[in-house]
Amino acid sequence: MNILLGEPFRKWCKTMRKVVLLSTGSTKYGRIDVTAREAALTAAKEAVEKAGIENREIQALYISNVFSMTERQGHLGPLIATSLGVPWIPALTIETACASGGTAFREAYANVAAGFYDCVLVVGTEKVSHLDVVTATTYFSYGSDYQFEAVNGASFPGLYAAMARAHMHQYGTTEEQMASVAVKNHENALHNPKAHFHKKITVEDVLKSRVIASPLKLYDCCPFSDGASAAIVASEEFAKKYTDTLIYVMGSGRATSPAALFDRENMASIPATNLAMNQALKQAKLSRKEIDFLEVHDCFTIAEIMAIEDLGFCEKGEGGKISDEGVTARDGEIPVNPSGGLKAKGHPVGATGVGQINEVYEQLMGEAGKRQVEGAMTALTHNIGATGGTCSLHIFRRGD
Amino acid sequence: MAYVSIPLYKRTIPQRYKLIGLKCKRCGWINFPPKGICKGCKVSSEFEKVKLSGKGTIYSYTVITAAAAPPEFSKQEKSGGSYVVALIELDEGPRIVAQLVNCKPENVRIGMRVESTIRKIYEDEGVVRYGFKFKPVEESLK
Ligand SMILES: CC(C)(COP(=O)(O)OP(=O)(O)OC[C@H]1O[C@@H](n2cnc3c(N)ncnc32)[C@H](O)[C@@H]1OP(=O)(O)O)[C@@H](O)C(=O)NCCC(=O)NCCS
Ligand SMILES: [Zn+2]
Repeated sequence: MNILLGEPFRKWCKTMRKVVLLSTGSTKYGRIDVTAREAALTAAKEAVEKAGIENREIQALYISNVFSMTERQGHLGPLIATSLGVPWIPALTIETACASGGTAFREAYANVAAGFYDCVLVVGTEKVSHLDVVTATTYFSYGSDYQFEAVNGASFPGLYAAMARAHMHQYGTTEEQMASVAVKNHENALHNPKAHFHKKITVEDVLKSRVIASPLKLYDCCPFSDGASAAIVASEEFAKKYTDTLIYVMGSGRATSPAALFDRENMASIPATNLAMNQALKQAKLSRKEIDFLEVHDCFTIAEIMAIEDLGFCEKGEGGKISDEGVTARDGEIPVNPSGGLKAKGHPVGATGVGQINEVYEQLMGEAGKRQVEGAMTALTHNIGATGGTCSLHIFRRGD
Repeated sequence: MAYVSIPLYKRTIPQRYKLIGLKCKRCGWINFPPKGICKGCKVSSEFEKVKLSGKGTIYSYTVITAAAAPPEFSKQEKSGGSYVVALIELDEGPRIVAQLVNCKPENVRIGMRVESTIRKIYEDEGVVRYGFKFKPVEESLK
C-alpha cells in the first residue's frame, strides 16, 4: 500500500497532463446476434460521432475483451483498427477478467496523461451468448485460481457465495438485505434503454428464485450478457478543440488482491478495492462526500455490499443495512449503480468497465433521462476482476 | 473444456494427495499451495516441506446447485442435485477450497471440525483424478 502511494506515485501525480473523457458510446446489453468485433464497431462509431472527431485522429486503440477465443478469433486490435479506417495505429487487447474494461481505460488514460498520445479509443466488447451455461461457467472460472479453486468444484457463483456466507457470519448480513440490492438495480435498469433486463422485481421474487450456490439465488447473480461500450480519452488541449463541457479524469486507482480467496485474510472483503480507492482519492484530491454517485461492480448482490464498504462509504459490515434502508437508491444519500449495474444492466465481461464509464458520461452530461442523478458533477467507477484479484477504479468530475 | 493435463496433475500430487506445505525457513509461515515467495514475510524463497495434518475448521461454504458447477462436476451436480464446497482453515494456518462429503448440506456450519480424505474428484481424458475432500469429524453430523 505504501509502495502504491509512495514517491513514484507523487511524482507521477505532479508531472502528468490533465486528461478528459471526451465521449462514450454503447450497444444495448443482452443477447446480440453479431460478433464481438462487430459490436465493438457499433460502440466505437457512436463514441467517435459524439466526440465530433474524425477516425484518423485516433492515435491508439485499447481493446478490452476476455472471451473472443470462444468465437475462434483472437488478435482483435488490427481487425477493429482496420474496420475503423485506421489500419496503422498501435492496438492491443487487455485482459484482467471482469475488470478488463476499467484496466484498458486506465492504460489509455496513463498514456494520454504521460503525453504519449493526445486522443485514444478504448473499446470493451464481449459475446458469450453462443455458449451453453456450463461452457460459459467454465470459461468464467478460468478467471479464478483454476487449479486450486475450480478444480475442487468452486465455480464463480460458488466463490462469491462463500464470500456472502462469510459476510453473513461475520457481520450479520441477511439474504433480505442482499435481495434489496437486486431490487434497486432492477428498478434503475427500467429506465436504461440499453439494459439487459427491463423487469421490476420484489424482495420476495429474489428470495423465492432458485438457489444457484447458497446463499445466492438466481436474482442475486448478474446474467451472461453480450455487448460493447467505447470511450474516447483525450488530452485537455485536444478536447478543448471539440467541446466546452470537459469531464476530467481526476483519479485512477489500480491494485491487485491475492488471486485466490483462500489466500485472503478476510474473505468478506476485497483488499484491492480499498487500495485503488486510496490512490484515486489522493490523486483527485477529493473526499468521499464530494462524490455524487457510484457505479460499482455488483456481479453478485454481495459484491455491491462489499464494494460500498471497502470503498469506505460506510463501516465494514454496514453495507447490507444501508442498502436495505435505501441509502444507495437513485434518490438516496449515495446513489449506487443508477445504470442498473451488472445485475440488471448486464455484464458483458470485457465491456462492463467501459460501460460504467459510459453511464458516468451520460449522467455528468445530464443526458441520463429518467435515471438522472440530480445535479451529478462527480462520479466513481469501480470495476473488479474475478473475486477481486484486480480492481480498476476511476473518479470523474465535470469541470464547470 | 477445462484442462489440467495428466503430467501437470501428477506434478501437483504432493498438494493434491498428501497436503504437503512449504514452511518458510525465515519466518516459519506455512505456505499452501506452494508460493515462489513466502506469503508471511514476502522475502524468503527458502522452504522446507511439511506434511499438514489434514484437520481443520470450516471458514465458509456454499451448496452448489442449478448449473453453477464447472463441467467436471456437472454430472455430479445433476446426479446428486447439489454438492458442498467449503473453504477450510487448516490447523496449521493455510486455507483451502475443497468439497465436503459424508455430510448433509443442511448440517454444514461455519466453525465445524473437519478432516481430509482422499476421493475421486473428477474424470478427464479417461483418467480418474483423485485428491482431497473433507468430512466432518463428528459422527452425528453425517
Ligand atoms: C445464474 C446463472 C447460472 C443462470 O443461468 P441459466 O440457468 O442458464 O439461466 P437461463 O439462461 O436458463 O435463463 C432462465 C431465465 O432466467 C433469466 N435469467 C438468467 N440469468 C438471470 C439473472 N442473472 N438475473 C435475472 N434473470 C436471469 C433468463 O432471462 C431466463 O428468463 P426467461 O425464461 O424469461 O427467458 C447464470 O446467469 C450465471 O452463472 N450468472 C453469473 C455469471 C458470472 O459468474 N459472471 C461473472 C461474475 S464475476
Ligand atoms: Zn517467510
